[in-house]
Amino acid sequence: MIDINWVVFAPALSLIIAASVSLLITVFKKNTKLSAIISLIAVAVAAAFNLQLFLNRAEGVQSSFGLEYLADTPALGFNFVILIATALAILISYDYLEKRNLDQIEYYPLMLLSASGALVMVAAGGMITLILGLEIMSLAVYVLAAWKQDSPASEEAGMKYFLLGAFASAFLIYGIAMLFGATGSFNYAAIAASVSSDGFDKIFYAVLASILILVGLGFKTAMFPFHQWAPDVYTGAPMPVTAFMSMVVKTAAFAALFRIAASFLLDMPSFISQILLIMIALTMIVGNMGGLVQTSLKRMLAFSAVAHAGYLGLALFAAKTVGIQAAVWYLTAYVIMNAGAFAVLSLIVDENDQADSLDDIAGLAKTHPALATAFSIFLFSLAGFPLFAGFIGKILVFQAAIENGYVLVAIIGIITSLVAVVYYLRPVIVMYFKNTDNKITIQPSMATTIVIAVAAIVTVLLGILPGWWYGLFEMGQRIVAAG
Amino acid sequence: MTLAVIFIPLIAAFVLLIINDRKLQAAIAFLAAIASFVVSLFLSSALPISRLWIPGFNSYFELNPAGAASVLVLVASLVMIPTVLYASKQIEKNTGNFLALLLFMQAGLNGIFLAKDLVLFYLFWEATLIPSLMMLGIWGRKNRRKAVVKYLIYAVGGSFFMLISILAIKPLAGAASYRFMDLYAVTPKLPVQTQIWLFLGFSAAFLVKQPIFPLHSWLISFNEENHHSGVADVMGTLYKVGAFGFFAWAMPLLPEGAKAVSPFLMVLAAFSAVYAIIAAISQTNLKRALAYASLSHMGIIGVGIFALNLIGSNGAVFLLAAQMLSTGGLFLITGMLYERRKSFDINEYGGIAKSAPMLAAFALFIIFTSIGVPGLANFPGEFMSLMGAFQSNVGATVIAALAVIGAGVFGVNLYQRIFQADETKPLIDLDRLELIVLIPILAGILWLGLAPNLELEKIEIQSRYINPISQTVESNNKAGDSQ
Repeated sequence: MIDINWVVFAPALSLIIAASVSLLITVFKKNTKLSAIISLIAVAVAAAFNLQLFLNRAEGVQSSFGLEYLADTPALGFNFVILIATALAILISYDYLEKRNLDQIEYYPLMLLSASGALVMVAAGGMITLILGLEIMSLAVYVLAAWKQDSPASEEAGMKYFLLGAFASAFLIYGIAMLFGATGSFNYAAIAASVSSDGFDKIFYAVLASILILVGLGFKTAMFPFHQWAPDVYTGAPMPVTAFMSMVVKTAAFAALFRIAASFLLDMPSFISQILLIMIALTMIVGNMGGLVQTSLKRMLAFSAVAHAGYLGLALFAAKTVGIQAAVWYLTAYVIMNAGAFAVLSLIVDENDQADSLDDIAGLAKTHPALATAFSIFLFSLAGFPLFAGFIGKILVFQAAIENGYVLVAIIGIITSLVAVVYYLRPVIVMYFKNTDNKITIQPSMATTIVIAVAAIVTVLLGILPGWWYGLFEMGQRIVAAG
Repeated sequence: MTLAVIFIPLIAAFVLLIINDRKLQAAIAFLAAIASFVVSLFLSSALPISRLWIPGFNSYFELNPAGAASVLVLVASLVMIPTVLYASKQIEKNTGNFLALLLFMQAGLNGIFLAKDLVLFYLFWEATLIPSLMMLGIWGRKNRRKAVVKYLIYAVGGSFFMLISILAIKPLAGAASYRFMDLYAVTPKLPVQTQIWLFLGFSAAFLVKQPIFPLHSWLISFNEENHHSGVADVMGTLYKVGAFGFFAWAMPLLPEGAKAVSPFLMVLAAFSAVYAIIAAISQTNLKRALAYASLSHMGIIGVGIFALNLIGSNGAVFLLAAQMLSTGGLFLITGMLYERRKSFDINEYGGIAKSAPMLAAFALFIIFTSIGVPGLANFPGEFMSLMGAFQSNVGATVIAALAVIGAGVFGVNLYQRIFQADETKPLIDLDRLELIVLIPILAGILWLGLAPNLELEKIEIQSRYINPISQTVESNNKAGDSQ
C-alpha cells in the first residue's frame, strides 16, 4: 500500500495547483499581473504549510511515500529559502516584464512549476524523487532562460543551458543506476546502510556512481569544472530569470547535495572527499578570478554566484554536523543579498539588459542616493563584510570546514574572498567617489523597490542579529536521511 | 553604561542621516560627543555585558570596560569633541553625512576597545573600515581614489588573515566559546608551532593597522589625501589600533607564539621608528611629514608592546592613548594652517608666529608633547616603552631611542620652519571656535602628562593577562618573598 501524507507535500502541491489555476484563468483573461499576484499568494500559502510542518517537526520524521519524500528540518529550512527566493524573483519580474513586452502569461506559472520542482528536490529522500524534482525544476528554467525571444543572447542561454543540463542529467541518472546496482536501493537511508555495512564489496561501483552524481549535481550548483555555462546563461537570460536561477536552482541543487553528502558521500573512500575538495577550491578561485575581470555588472554577479557555490561547498564537509544548518543560513543570506543586487541592476539596465558597466553607474550616489546605499549594502554583504549577513554566512561555512579539519581549503577561501573584495567594492568606489556628470535614469518600479528595501533591511538585520534564524534550524545529531 | 558609549554615537549617527538642517546636525553631533565623553568618564566602574549572540557558533555579545578599554575609550571620546566641532565648521558639503560617519567610526572604535569576544572584536574591527573609507573617498583630495584602493587592500588583506586565525583558534584549542576568558583558559596550551601560525595570522592585521614598516605605505597616502581640515585624519589616528590588538588579544591568547615572533617584530618596530622619523624630517608636505612622524610613534609603541614585559606593555598602551591627543591635535592645526594659506607645502610658511602668536603657542605645545617632553602626555608612555624594551633587547632599544632624538630634531625643525624663520605674509590668529577646539586637547595632554598613574593602573589590569608577564611578576614576587 502506498502511504501518502498529503500534508508533507502540501507546499509543493500548492505551487503546482496555483500554476495550473493561473494558466487556466489567463486563458480567459490575459492578464499577467493577475497571474503574478496569484503566484505570490501561492508562495505565501506554501510558506504557511511549510511553517505548519516546521512547527510540528518535533513529533518525529514527517514523510510520505515511505522515506522518499521528507519534511525534516533540513528540507523545511531549504524550503523557506526557496520560497523566499521565488517571491523575490516574482516581485523583480513584476514591472520588468511589462516594460520589455515580455509579459506572456506562461511566465509566472513556469516559475512556480520550477519552484515546486525545487521543493521536491529538497524533500527527496531517495534518488528517484531527486531526479523527478530536478527535471521538473530544470525544464521550466530552460524555457525561462530563453524567454526573450528576440534576443540571440537569451536564446543562446536557453539552448546552452538545456543541452548542457540534459547532459548533466544523463550523468546523474547513470550514477543513480550504478548506485542501484551496487546497493540495490534508491533510497538514501538504505544506500547509506548498505554502503556502511560490513560485507559491502561493490565499493568500486559505489565510488564511480558517486563521481557521476557529483558531476550531475556539480553542474546544477555551477561548481568547477562544470560552471562554464553559468556566466553565459546568467548573462543571456532576462534579469529576473537570472536572479531566479542563481537563487532557487542553486539552493535546490545544494540541498540535494547536502543530503547525499550526509547520507553516504562522506562515508565513501577519502578519494571522493578529495575530489570534492579540489572542486570546491577551484570553484572559489575560478569564480573570484573571473569576477575580477568583468566589466558588466550582471556578468560579475554571475561569477560571484559561482564563487559563492564554492563557499557553500565548504560546509559540505560538515554535512553530518553543523553543515546543513550553516548552509541554510548562508543560502538565506545569499538569496536576500543577491536578490537585492539583481533588483538594483534591473532598475539600472536598459531594455536589453545592457548598460550595466561600471561607467554607467558612476555617480549613482549623487542622483539616486538611496539606491546607491542599498546597492552598497548588498555588495559589502556579498564581499563578506561584518555588520552584513554575508559575513556571518561566511564565518559559519569557514568554521564548519575548519572544524572538520579542512583548514587549507578554508584559507584558500579566505584569500579568494580578498580578491572578491576588489570586484565587489569597485562599483561602490565608482558610485561614490568618481566625479562625473553622468545623468542616470532608472526605471521606477514599486515592486522592485519593495524588494530592494526589504532585502537591504534584512541584510543588515541578519548581519547584526544572526542568532534567531540560525538557532531555528538546529539539527541535533539526526541529519541523515532516514528517521 | 558600557552599551551607552557605543549606542550614543550610533543612534546620533542615524538621526543625523535623517534630519537635514545643518545647524541642528552640528548640535546633535556635538551633544552626542559630549554625552559619550561624560559617560566614558565613569566607564571604568561600569558593569560588563554578556549575551549569547550566535547560538551554536558560541559567539557572545560581550563588552567589558575593565582595563585598558576604559582609558582608550575615554581619550578617544575626548578627542571626538574638538573633531566634531571643527568638522561641523569645515566640511562644506554633506556635513551631516560626514558627522554621521565620524560618529559611526567612534561607535566602532569603542566596540573594538570594549569587545571581549573575538568574533565581535572582528566585527567592529572591519566595520570601522567602512566609514573611514567613505570619509576618505567622498571628502578626500584629488588622488583619493588611489588612496582608497591602497588602504582597502592593505586593511582587508591583513584582516582576512586574522579571520583565518580567529576561525581556527576555537576549534583547535577546543574552547567553549569565542569569549576572551574561555579562549584564555585553553589557547595558551596549544602547541608552539600552532601558536606561531595563529599569531602570524593576527599579526598580519595588526601590523597593517598599527602600522609597522613595511606595511605602512597606506597610512601616508591616507593622511595626504584626506580632507584638508584634518578631521578625518584625527579619526585615522584613532584608528591605529593594531598595537591594541596585540595587547588585548594576540599576546595573552598565544603566549608561546608571541615569545617566538616578538623579537623579530621588535626589530621591525625599532627600524620603523627610525626610518619614519628620518623620512618625516625630509618631507616638504606638512601632512606627509606628520604621517611619518606618527608612524614613528607607532614604532616606539611597537618596541614597548613586543618587549613582552609589564612596563613595556603599560607604556605602549599609554602612549597609544596619548598620541591620539598629540597627533590628532597636530592634524587639526594643519587643517587650520591650510584654511589660511591653502597649502600644505612647508616652504610656503615661515615666521607666522608674529602674526599668529596663539596658533604658534598651541602648535609648540602640541609639538613638545609629540616629541616626548616630560610633564606632557607622551612622555610617560614613551619612556616606559623604551624602558621595557631595554629589558628584553638592548640593541633594538638603542635604535628606537635614536628615533626619539630624531623626533626632537623633527619637531623643533618643523616649528622653526613654519612659525619662525623669515616672515612670509602675515596670518590671521586663532578665532574663538578654533580656540575652543584646541582647549580640550590641551587639557587632555596635561591630564595624561601630569597624572599618568591613574590611567596606568587601569591599563595594568589588562597587561597582567599577557602570560610571560604574569609569570615574571609571579616569580618576582616569589623572589621577594624568599628574601
